[in-house]
Amino acid sequence: MTPALPLGVAAATLVVSMMLGLRWSRGWLALVVAGALATAVAAVLVLAGAGEWEWRSTFAVGGERLHLRLDALSAMFLLLVGVVGAAGAVYAREYWSDERYPRSAGRGRCWWSALFVSQAAVLLASNGLHFLLAWELFAVCGYFLIVLESRRRDVRAAGWLYLAASHAGTLGLFAFFSALAAQTGSWELGPMREQAALAPLFWLALFGFAVKAGVFPLHIWLPSAHASAPSHVSAVLSGVALKMGVYGLVRFSGWLPLPGAAGWVVISLGAAGALLGIAFALAQNDLKRLLAYSSVENIGVIMIGLGAALLGAARGETSWGRLALAGALLHVWNHGLFKSLLFFGAGSVLHATGTREISRLGGLWRAMPWTAGLFALGAMAVAALPPLNGFVSEWLVYLGLFDGAMGRGAAAWATMPAAIVLAMTGALALATFVKASALVFLGAPRTRAATRAHESGRWMRAPMAGLAAACVALGLAPGLIWPVLARATGVWHPAWGTAEAPGPFGTLGTVHLVLAILMVAAAVGLGRRVHPRGLRRAPTWDCGFAAPSARMQYTSGSFGGVATPWFALVLRPARIQRRPRGYFPADTLHLQRVPETVLEHVIEPVGRAILRGASLARRLQHGRLQFYIAYVGVGLVALGAIAWWGDVR
Amino acid sequence: MSGATVNLLVGVAMGLNLLALASSRVPSIIRAVAVQGMVLGLIPLLMETHFDWLVATVAVVTMAVKGFLIPALLGRAMRSAHIDREIEPFIGYVPSLLLGAAGTIAAVAGARALPLLPEHTGTLFVPGALASLLTGFVLLIGRAKAISQVCGYLILENGIYLFGLLLINSTPLLVESGILLDLTVGVFVIGIIVDRIQRAFDSLDTRKLTVLRE
Amino acid sequence: MMPLVESLLRLLVWLLLAPLLPGLINQVKAWVAGRRGPPALQLYYDLARLWRKGVVLSHLASPGFLAGPAVGWVAITGAALLLPLGPGGGGVSFRGDVLLFVYLLAVARFCTAWAALETGSAFEGMGAAREVSFAVLAEVALITAILTLSVQSGSVTLATMLAPAAGAGAVLLAAGLFAVLLAENCRVPFDDPNTHLELTMIHEVMVLDHSGPPLAVVLHGAAMKLMIFAVLLVQAVLPIGTLSPVVAAGWLAGGVLGVTLGVGLVESLLARFAFRRVPLLLTTAFLLCLFALLLAWKGGGA
Repeated sequence: MTPALPLGVAAATLVVSMMLGLRWSRGWLALVVAGALATAVAAVLVLAGAGEWEWRSTFAVGGERLHLRLDALSAMFLLLVGVVGAAGAVYAREYWSDERYPRSAGRGRCWWSALFVSQAAVLLASNGLHFLLAWELFAVCGYFLIVLESRRRDVRAAGWLYLAASHAGTLGLFAFFSALAAQTGSWELGPMREQAALAPLFWLALFGFAVKAGVFPLHIWLPSAHASAPSHVSAVLSGVALKMGVYGLVRFSGWLPLPGAAGWVVISLGAAGALLGIAFALAQNDLKRLLAYSSVENIGVIMIGLGAALLGAARGETSWGRLALAGALLHVWNHGLFKSLLFFGAGSVLHATGTREISRLGGLWRAMPWTAGLFALGAMAVAALPPLNGFVSEWLVYLGLFDGAMGRGAAAWATMPAAIVLAMTGALALATFVKASALVFLGAPRTRAATRAHESGRWMRAPMAGLAAACVALGLAPGLIWPVLARATGVWHPAWGTAEAPGPFGTLGTVHLVLAILMVAAAVGLGRRVHPRGLRRAPTWDCGFAAPSARMQYTSGSFGGVATPWFALVLRPARIQRRPRGYFPADTLHLQRVPETVLEHVIEPVGRAILRGASLARRLQHGRLQFYIAYVGVGLVALGAIAWWGDVR
Repeated sequence: MSGATVNLLVGVAMGLNLLALASSRVPSIIRAVAVQGMVLGLIPLLMETHFDWLVATVAVVTMAVKGFLIPALLGRAMRSAHIDREIEPFIGYVPSLLLGAAGTIAAVAGARALPLLPEHTGTLFVPGALASLLTGFVLLIGRAKAISQVCGYLILENGIYLFGLLLINSTPLLVESGILLDLTVGVFVIGIIVDRIQRAFDSLDTRKLTVLRE
Repeated sequence: MMPLVESLLRLLVWLLLAPLLPGLINQVKAWVAGRRGPPALQLYYDLARLWRKGVVLSHLASPGFLAGPAVGWVAITGAALLLPLGPGGGGVSFRGDVLLFVYLLAVARFCTAWAALETGSAFEGMGAAREVSFAVLAEVALITAILTLSVQSGSVTLATMLAPAAGAGAVLLAAGLFAVLLAENCRVPFDDPNTHLELTMIHEVMVLDHSGPPLAVVLHGAAMKLMIFAVLLVQAVLPIGTLSPVVAAGWLAGGVLGVTLGVGLVESLLARFAFRRVPLLLTTAFLLCLFALLLAWKGGGA
């Protein structure tokens, strides 16, 4: 069976669902899930070895004939689109239901289908013009999904920022594709590594795709958009939409000839983004913003892998280059899975309590045990703890970096610092996610809202459970997906696909399995050991402090307060405090906040300077006709002067 | 044999640079500077294949001055001014330590690119000198107390001295003696200034000197 | 049959010998202070007694409060089994096992911090925050040390990496790893394992609310972690993997004993550092490992 049939079915069902979604919620869900299933079937067919699928239309769209292509690389991303697309659709049925959001639920469904289709179109398009069209559609769908709740001011602001940043990126891509078309004489895309003159175009592509992927420091739009969007939208934006940027980078770094510095730049961007992204995440007090910054970090990890692969490819190092690339690609999947899971979890918390402030939550495990357990699993996965999936991909990236360092070539000057940064990132991620999971779900409820929390229904729990199961499965059986990774790396670099799996990949899976079984057994065993003796319950002992109150618990700010000052140079935390004075101090105050540093300290001053310049220029526009005629005169004289000067030369 | 020992000594001096950057107590900075001065003073003795009275004398004098005289002076100034530790450095200890380490690595890596004489390429003289210069600058810029700044100045001088050692075969330590003289005078002057600042402001915090800008 | 017996023996070595180390440290401390001190086997008695005791749980604790210590203990045991014992190699050995080793220790950290936060106590929250934050710097130093060994030996398998001697940067590496050992195991000068109700604690404060068998599991895990770092340090510096089994066992035991002695002496002679100096100390450890890495790099490449 070729992927054409399932892809056709998927396209048909999704387009129909887009049209019906406004009113007919049940039918929409069935259609989207069916479409996602068909998409997944198509992707799996290619990933299982059916080979590359290509299709050209006989008719033209926008003056160019359609050219679709599905190879192992795009199929990896397509599968992710399908899985998260379906999970989010199921989740939204309860989370963004018609009863709760009568005004926007229908619109949300339509845009959801549109986003799904446009993402798939980006992945399939093999013509520059159509790629751009699909890309723009995809960006616009994202915008409309973010501003579903458009009554809220912060949502509208986040939407505008997203739209502006997204268009800045699209501008880069527009330049990239038109320059590419101008130099090659055709909009057709495909491998063109031998045309060395195209190498500088990589920088344009890097800018355009990096904005979409949220690569530090181009991530400015990401935290507010992901925090303010409805949670199922945050999940798909973080889990999948960012990966479209990664897809673009991987795709075109595989197809185009590369400038020599490409690997160095990408790995440096990745290392900086990973470290600073997670430092920002640790400093956040808003659960969803924390998750958003953690996405910046994970994109950084992917970029480290990709950068190492570029370095390896430039030096003909097959052995470690492909390990790093495989790690990066697997991390694309893993991050898509666990980040969606975490955003769904955060959505459930928001749904149950109405707040995203970590310091207003706490003790939710009693009311929402399922969400608590699944969120904890996702937190362990994102902190790259074995035996879960996050560790498997980071392990591959680490192996690539270590092997690169042991090669003692010039590339080691990039891979050694990257490995050290990755270790720091990993430990910071652990701190961040201990904070995010434990402070929200454990301890005593800090506010009334947290006390009144309730477990979310099965429509919200089921997609979370499914994603969690996928995280566990990828962690315990990494050996099964090696062929997929090998095919995808083979598409990226033709010489890398045939290589054997690294031997220990299977062993790692076995060890993970044994570890997982032992961990469960030990937990159950200890529980059994304790229970027959009778559990006595008492207030928290806490060294004998007799009257603990929920407000005395460690808060999010205090938890992050140990490590965030280390990054104060970049984070620039703002602090307002009124110290206690005198013997009987009346009121004291301590407010601390980590701003969107890049936005507030870099982009906004530059923007203000541009605005100031523009308003100066506006003085020329005052409405007096005589002056306009004078302008024309001055312009004519200037033109004449230029022409005369040209003649003289 | 002696080459390896000399390199080890320069390495120790580079380690002492980092120690000086990391320590918050003034006495330990002074101690680090003293030990560094003595370690560097040893080097000319080890470098000479044949024994030379002039070199030996200058080396012994260097060690005595850098290892005992100047530290003793600084110690006295410190005690009379009642300063024990740096409270609020401009550049924190961890950043200055990282800066110093990065500088050391850059110096080792960068020295390879310099057009050195073949007999100097295997030694750590140039990297050590560069690293000491950088450490001195970091201390001078990053510390608020005048005494720590004097220590930075001394480390800076040790770096210059290491450069001077490269010329040991051509000029018989004239350069070094000159520097040493200069330095001793400098330390005396600073000692007097320290005393004056202490009397005038009741503190050795050089930040307070900004009131004099008018 | 043989492999099974062998791995069982290995497991027993780890499980049974580990609680000896804290006892030895206490002996050294008592000897330096001129006291008699608790018997070296004290921890064994404590563990046996705790295992038989009942449990008092906080009202707030979820099932994760019991699962945390158990999962953490399995993770530490797994890390111990990955670590080779001299020429015998590791229980499981594969390319890249060293990264699993590092991350299993991270799993244990996650579990301890999680269980500490179960109780909703500010005190334990403080301990957890410090533990996970300082571990950031310790882990950087540890990975740098591992990178050094790996560049030196050209391998990412623990058994091969740890077999030869540490080479040029041995002293630097040993000092760096020793500092990491002290930090990761919350010993003086980072933390004082003896104090209670002292505002500058890390590990002790996290396990305040544990009791009975879960506390026994936590204590045993901590002892095993100490032994893991001691064994890692000794093997990183000495060429134990290349010796004959009997000599290697002797050197390994002697080395671990030496490290234990060192920890005891440090604990007797040094006071705990002020908290704001901990990052400085750990940065120093990182730099020591970094310079060892550069020496290893230069030693082989030039």
